[in-house]
Amino acid sequence: MNRLLFLIAFALAALNGVAQVDVSGVVVEEGSEEPLPGASVILRNADGKIKKFATSGADGKFAIPTPETEGYTLDVSMMNFAKQTVKLDSVKMPVTIVMERSATMLKEVAVKAERIREQGDTITYDVGSFAQTQDRSIGDVLKRMPGIDVSNSGKIQYQGEDINKFYIEGADLLGGKYGIATNGINHDDVGAVEVMENHQPMQVLSGISFSDKAAINLKLKNKAKATWTFHGHAGGGYSWQPEGAVWDGELFAMAVMPGFQNITTLKTNNIGEDLSGSATDFFASGRDTGLSRYVGVSLPGVPNLSGKRTLFNRSALLSTNSLWKVRNGEFKAQIDYSFNQVTAQAANITTYFLESGDRVITENRDGRDRSHSLSGKFIYEVNQKTTFINNTLSTNIDWDDVRLGVTGSLPNEQSVKLPDYHVANKFKMIKRFDGKHLITFQSNNEWESLPQTLNVVMDGNNIRQHIGDHAFHTHESAAYAFSIKGLTISLEGGVKGYLRSLNTELPDLPAELPGKTENALSTNYFTVYATPKFEYWVKRVNFTLNAPVSFSHYTFDKAIANRSEAYFSPSLSMNWKPNNRFSMTLRGGAGRSPMDLNMIQPGYIMTDYRTFSQGVDDFYNSTSQRISANFAYKLTRKGIFANAMVMQSWSHVPYTMSQRFYGDYIVYSYADAKSDGKNLMALGSIGKTLDFMRGSTNVNGSFLRNESRLFSENNAVNTVSTGWSIGARINGSPLRWLSFDYSIDFSNSQLGINGIGNSWLSGMENSLLLIFMPQGEHWSKWEWRIKGDHYHNELTEGKYKNVLLINTKLVYKLNKRIELSAMLSNMFNHRTYNYTTYSELSSYESQRWLRGRELLFTISLRK
Amino acid sequence: MKRFIAFFYCLAVFLAAIAQDRATITAVYSYSHPAFENAGEIKTDEMTLLANNTRSKWFNRMSEYCDSLCSTPEGKNKLQEIQIAAWVIFEPGGGITVDKSKPAPSKDIDEYIFTNLSELSVYDKLANTASTYTEPYSEQEWNLDEGSTTDIMGYNCIMATTDYHGRKWKVWFTPELPVSFGPWKLRGLPGLILKAETDGGFKFEIKDLGRSDEQMLPLYPGTNYEKVDRKKALADHKYFMSHRTTLLAAEYGANANLKDGVEPEYLPEFAIECDFQ
Repeated sequence: MNRLLFLIAFALAALNGVAQVDVSGVVVEEGSEEPLPGASVILRNADGKIKKFATSGADGKFAIPTPETEGYTLDVSMMNFAKQTVKLDSVKMPVTIVMERSATMLKEVAVKAERIREQGDTITYDVGSFAQTQDRSIGDVLKRMPGIDVSNSGKIQYQGEDINKFYIEGADLLGGKYGIATNGINHDDVGAVEVMENHQPMQVLSGISFSDKAAINLKLKNKAKATWTFHGHAGGGYSWQPEGAVWDGELFAMAVMPGFQNITTLKTNNIGEDLSGSATDFFASGRDTGLSRYVGVSLPGVPNLSGKRTLFNRSALLSTNSLWKVRNGEFKAQIDYSFNQVTAQAANITTYFLESGDRVITENRDGRDRSHSLSGKFIYEVNQKTTFINNTLSTNIDWDDVRLGVTGSLPNEQSVKLPDYHVANKFKMIKRFDGKHLITFQSNNEWESLPQTLNVVMDGNNIRQHIGDHAFHTHESAAYAFSIKGLTISLEGGVKGYLRSLNTELPDLPAELPGKTENALSTNYFTVYATPKFEYWVKRVNFTLNAPVSFSHYTFDKAIANRSEAYFSPSLSMNWKPNNRFSMTLRGGAGRSPMDLNMIQPGYIMTDYRTFSQGVDDFYNSTSQRISANFAYKLTRKGIFANAMVMQSWSHVPYTMSQRFYGDYIVYSYADAKSDGKNLMALGSIGKTLDFMRGSTNVNGSFLRNESRLFSENNAVNTVSTGWSIGARINGSPLRWLSFDYSIDFSNSQLGINGIGNSWLSGMENSLLLIFMPQGEHWSKWEWRIKGDHYHNELTEGKYKNVLLINTKLVYKLNKRIELSAMLSNMFNHRTYNYTTYSELSSYESQRWLRGRELLFTISLRK
Repeated sequence: MKRFIAFFYCLAVFLAAIAQDRATITAVYSYSHPAFENAGEIKTDEMTLLANNTRSKWFNRMSEYCDSLCSTPEGKNKLQEIQIAAWVIFEPGGGITVDKSKPAPSKDIDEYIFTNLSELSVYDKLANTASTYTEPYSEQEWNLDEGSTTDIMGYNCIMATTDYHGRKWKVWFTPELPVSFGPWKLRGLPGLILKAETDGGFKFEIKDLGRSDEQMLPLYPGTNYEKVDRKKALADHKYFMSHRTTLLAAEYGANANLKDGVEPEYLPEFAIECDFQ
């Protein structure tokens, strides 16, 4: 039979003059020899061109009729199997193709996603389409996303409002310390940034309590998930001022796994970056212990220039943060240590033009501030639809030592020791039952000790101010809430107790000063309070009314008379969100509140070598009112985001700060006179994506006006400070070999005293960064960056100080993981920021120092 | 009865899991086509293709989400609640306004296509009727143009053309991803089809591509699909779309009020398959 077919085929072939061959076979799996259906079979000719193709059938078999096979090859491929290539000249038909298992890798590609997408309350920004070559951290890229603002510390705002949560793959690892992530996570590990509008972080409150804040979630790329990722850099070089070696190093490790997350970072530098703020908790509310430092000695700074140009520092930071998912909750541990040492110098020369000859007063300041901070935070949280439990234990120890020497007309040497010890435990539990009823219990306990020591050596005398200040605060509360037909009513009630003792001593008071130099008192209180809260939804409007009422009894251990007070501070807010594009919030409030208890201090306290403070000797209450309006608009499809905010507040206090001079000393105290303050603030911002060059632009403006009063030598001084600013930035890559980043900021301010306006003084900062990325085989690994910062600051009316500082950097990308760079900062080695201003009777000369030329070689690595 | 169906559905899912009907690739395509409602405009939808070596599933995620909700009575009520909350505005006078432009989950794309190496099963709403039909796998005859290659998402793609159901399709596929499926009904090439277009504004373009371990779930129960003949169903669909207002008015006994008095005709220009004339 076969022979017959063959003969017929042969005859037909002879007729056509072409021989038809059947390339056939079976595809099987290695080992099991099971047939594999769905394999793609491609027949290529000697030039590698596809001639025919087929797919293996359910039995793994395939057949491809073809006129010839000479020099032909057969490619067989399948997902999850290694590709097999068979030379047809060397095999007999039917051929058996054995496929070996192997992972088919999908390419990491820049997915052509829309740059910004919107789904419900979530807006998704595609990171790859906003990142530029000079960006390192995710924070650098977030800054380019319209609608999002990132401060240098890493703090994020969305549409002008602080975010309320920062998640990594849906888990809240860092809490308010998310600056570590914004400044640390490599943007290349992040696929998308999600902004969740109106985010209610406690699931138990969803649908019951409204939130007008947004949260951010980082969606990592697959390669950064379920594994540890590392990156870091190490740099060393030479600086012309301060003369000597410079370094800059960072190590960042991150693990994002289903049940465990960790971020650990270690950083150190002496190139002008203060790291002590890197682990700041942006969500922290003020400590209830309410202590604040009396002593304040600060180093001189350089006005109007960025810290990176003027800070002479040595900084280090170690932060490790872990999260474990345990059954239905999370346990988090966060430990941070930071060290920061700053040195600063300044010289001022004031010349008085007198008939009897010029009188010259010089003052040179030279100081060092060294601070350490160690903190630990341990959190257990359950966040479910019916239960929320959070217990947070935090401990914090800070040491801050400052030494400041002044030479000149009042030569002295100040040294300050300011340690701070703080322990707090906060417990919160919310239960939801029957869907609409909520019960909350809270118990917060805090203890703090804030000893302060100031030593002043002046004219051979040694003056020592010591302050002991301790406080304990406890707060227990319970709340019940229920909702009916869009109305949520809640009532919170509780008690607060506060014990504080203050002891100060100043044994060697300068002879010029009359009065007491010791304080030994306690300021204690006991408060009972109730806060009814009403939330109401109608259509797309949410109304919230808060009406806290409290009764407090204050005892002062005979320092001043004991008091009992009642307080009521209602506030109302309204949020209207007619559609997904527009949202508006109006808020208003009024109230009465007790004074800051730190102000009760009848004896003098020396706060620096020539300043003393003396508090009030009675108990006062203040009243205040405020109204504000926020607007936000977005059109995600077009990448447009805009927001604006206006706030007006009034305050009324029955005392006024007063200033008196005794010889060379200034004493700040309080006079029994009413003082009204007024504050107006307006801010606005508009951002837009520029898709044609993968860029974005933003324009923002602000206006501030503040009125206040003070008594100086028994004369009332009313001050009005007014200021406005406008800024714009634009960035993009208009050409394949060029990208740029430009920003301009202009500000103008005025201080008016007793109705007489001083002149307006302006400041302008321009900054341009250009990056050249040469194309071509040999050059594409190189990159050249040049950055110029220009400052144009008005010192007195019409007199400007200009500074131009230029950095340049050459980068060589060895491969995807290793990058080498050389950077030259402040190329022209500007070492000083000096200026002289003149008035009719005097001249004032100021000298400040800048970081000089700096050459830094860096190697960056990533895994 | 519904519980019974749900049980069998679970069983089917379980069996599917045993059969390892898991995708190895998930691909998201944007599907552009002329909008019938707004003549002259191009509408874009997002569709998903799940594929492994022997099977593929083409569907819209939002529609599947709605179908999953609607497969239980509680879910169906929940979905309606969400939709009413989002779309319906109760006027103070007692009237209501329905604004479907507000975001809420809704099933706007009814099409599901399951393809294996022998046939395609299409499930769709044609002429307002849930319809299903099959096509043989090997219906498309492809001509390769190896001279025309392009780079799509880093994959080297080869151009191929075919005449299919009244239109000439031009597609780009990559042998680097050896699965013989693609967007919509396009299949049979030795590599995944990443882009496809034909005259009149019909276009499929890959938006997102990734490894997958997702199960290719069968249809959720709750809809009874009627077996139809493709060409006849498409012709019925054309008639229905051209007389939608009057047909619905007749069915529900309401008055048909047309904006301009005339209902636009559903011309072949709007249909991705136009071989039913």
